[in-house]
Amino acid sequence: MELFLQTNSQVSFSFSSHESCSAVKRKGSGTSLEPHFTECISRNQETFRCWWNPGDFHNLSSPGALRVFYLKKDSPTSEWKECPEYIHSNRECFFDVNHTSIWIPYCMQLRSQNNITYFNEDDCFTVENIVHPDPPVSLNWTLLNISPSGLTYDVMVNWEPPPSADVGTGWMRLVYEIQYREKNTTGSWESLETQPHTQQTVYGLHIGKEYEVHIRCRMQAFTKFGEFSDSIYVLVTEVPNKESTFPLLLVFVFGVVGILVLIMLIIVSQQHRIMMILLPPIPAPKIKGIDPELLKKGKLVELNFILSGGGMGGLPTYAPDFYQDEPWVEFIEVDAEDADAGEREDNQASDTQRLLGVHQPIGHHMNIGCANTIGFPDDDSGRASCYDPDLPEQDALLLMTTLLPGQPEDGDSSFDIVERATAPERGDRPLDQTQTGASQTWVNTDFYAQVSNVMPSGGVVLSPGQHLRIQESGLVTEEETHKKGKENKGGEETEDKNPKELQFQLLLVDPEGSGYTSDSSNRQINTPPSSPVPGEGYQTIHPQLVETKPAATAEGNQSPYILPDSPQCPFFAPVADYTVVQEMDSEHSLLLNPPPPRHSPPPSLTQQHPLKALPSMPVGYITPDLLGNLTP
Amino acid sequence: MSANIRKVWVEVVCVLLCSSLSGVCSAPLCMNGQNGCHILSLSDLFDRVIQHSARMHGISNDLHSEFEQYFLPSKNQIGRVSRNCHTSTILTPNGKENAQRMARQELTEVILKLLLAWRDPLWHFHQSMAHHPDFNKFSSNKALEMSDMAHELRKGVEKVAEKMQMLGIISNSVSSLASPEAPLPANGHKWRLMKDYDLLYCFRRDSNKVQNYLKILKCRIVPEHGC
Repeated sequence: MELFLQTNSQVSFSFSSHESCSAVKRKGSGTSLEPHFTECISRNQETFRCWWNPGDFHNLSSPGALRVFYLKKDSPTSEWKECPEYIHSNRECFFDVNHTSIWIPYCMQLRSQNNITYFNEDDCFTVENIVHPDPPVSLNWTLLNISPSGLTYDVMVNWEPPPSADVGTGWMRLVYEIQYREKNTTGSWESLETQPHTQQTVYGLHIGKEYEVHIRCRMQAFTKFGEFSDSIYVLVTEVPNKESTFPLLLVFVFGVVGILVLIMLIIVSQQHRIMMILLPPIPAPKIKGIDPELLKKGKLVELNFILSGGGMGGLPTYAPDFYQDEPWVEFIEVDAEDADAGEREDNQASDTQRLLGVHQPIGHHMNIGCANTIGFPDDDSGRASCYDPDLPEQDALLLMTTLLPGQPEDGDSSFDIVERATAPERGDRPLDQTQTGASQTWVNTDFYAQVSNVMPSGGVVLSPGQHLRIQESGLVTEEETHKKGKENKGGEETEDKNPKELQFQLLLVDPEGSGYTSDSSNRQINTPPSSPVPGEGYQTIHPQLVETKPAATAEGNQSPYILPDSPQCPFFAPVADYTVVQEMDSEHSLLLNPPPPRHSPPPSLTQQHPLKALPSMPVGYITPDLLGNLTP
Repeated sequence: MSANIRKVWVEVVCVLLCSSLSGVCSAPLCMNGQNGCHILSLSDLFDRVIQHSARMHGISNDLHSEFEQYFLPSKNQIGRVSRNCHTSTILTPNGKENAQRMARQELTEVILKLLLAWRDPLWHFHQSMAHHPDFNKFSSNKALEMSDMAHELRKGVEKVAEKMQMLGIISNSVSSLASPEAPLPANGHKWRLMKDYDLLYCFRRDSNKVQNYLKILKCRIVPEHGC
């Protein structure tokens, strides 16, 4: 009230006081009720209606007895106007769009026929303040979820705004209020908070109870709600859907467990096979003839014993059958017939010259082939594959020619020679015998001559082969095979190859010796000047050594070949791998040991049976196969 | 002499800086989305100002309701019917159709006029509220908030007008009106005669007008479903 007294506005002051007084007056007037307006409502903020009541003045109840006038205060000079549209059946005055203005105060007045005015200040308003929106339409609900306990559930209620309200253009912005209660009860309605969206969740409804839901709306930031919509009924009964999930889970779990058990059974039953696939066994070290257990356990002493040829077990290394499966075993095939022809030729030429390689290569008489069980023919009869390219062909061939063991029929003589070679006192006799036999058995002698010692004068001391060598005919094969290998690999093999129980002695070829070796030969030999391997007592005569032979031999007329005494030369241990050059004849040609007696048919120089074709090979040769086994 | 030259230099530098700064200030906040800021579309701008105006109207309604309890509560919040708001001289469309028929530029101008007209009255209203013993702190805070909101809303609508000018929807004449140097209406002092209750009543009405006008304007410029 204080504010009113302070106002400076004359009009407002007077008006307010008058208005309050008039209001008081009316209320205190007593029982008669003047005609009045019951309500003025707008539904869409574009039109509005007013209803009046004649009150106790029943004589004014007839249509037309009371007239409605309104004052629209949009200018100071506005006047009262009559209702634009009467609806007498309702005692309603309707103001259409053209007569409706927002934000402008309206005042309503009732006048009787005799100009009695019934006016109430309360009947003034602005249209936006009398808006009661229509109720929302299309009310429906959907079940959201049921609580785990199965006692309550949630529901989503959605609806549409009233079609009369222009919500699209934003002319009216509505907020909605949901109310619900249990059906068939007279309880009060539960009200949810007003919110502007057209859907809302109702939580905590009970299963089995039916609920009644309705909605009303009002304009945002205004106070007047519209009417409630028609009620909808929400009811959810118990649905046994819990059990459907439970057995599914059980089935799933059991299925998984069963599959796992199956997998385990398969793994256990097929354990070995799986292990084979996953972890293939590593091949154990194997040497033919040696117990793998020895190799595994690393008993070096025993291994050495075996490998060096001791004991009875021995390594059946010279059996030609062994090498049927070894395609890479290299050996040299010798054509016996050609060898004989060549022998005759050789007899004509000097041995020395043959050794020196002066003559034409007689390689065409020789079949030098590799022991290839596959039967792989080379264009150059296998020479390339088995041949050391560094070596001059001629020299090799010459050497082969000269060092070939003799014919089988001379085996006895060679055998004797070998035997006698061990006895140092048989100095010249072996020489003679070998000399006699050498002419016949020249071709069949061993490929290599065993140099026992190198004389200071330049002579080469060759030691005879071991008698033990004869015992094993297989060594012949090895000899031929080994010849090639020897040429190629030089002195390395001498150390490494000791496939039998025969003991070999390794004699180092002194490159600085009196011209017996050349630098190239040294290279070829590649013998480490270290200690000779105990038990190995032979060395190779390099083809190039042969070249220097004549020089050496020329130095001294004496035979450069001296049969050493056993005590002097400890390396007279049984030498089997090489043909021992027993003596040099007067023509300075090497006389080699005759081959041991052959127990097998003459060699058929076919590549199909390369191994069998070399029985004349003196024993003592190590084939590459064995070489490989012995290589540490 | 040297001092003068120095002064001149300083002034030149200042002018240059100020011009550059003003250029920066007048330029839009984002240049093609650089530095991680995204350019608001006209629709987004409209949504923002509409939300703002709705909130402002809500606060004015709350304050008006608070004031009403000190007086006889009228049936239709009409209070004293013959209130004269100081903004009654501004011609405003009084209906939906009138607002829809009005040109976009005029409608924007009307909005800006209304908001500009309420800048000072709201500020003074807040001052009087803060010192009045009858009203609690909440009312005073609301009055301050209302005043700030009206100010921000005006800035927002100015931005919208700028954007619309950029897009060629309206011509340039709006900006001159919305400039801070625009003179207040002729009866600018009339609001000093109003008192707080009337002021609140008037502002409540005008804020509702602004809200509705913005909605209609958006629907016309940025068409969406339902427009």
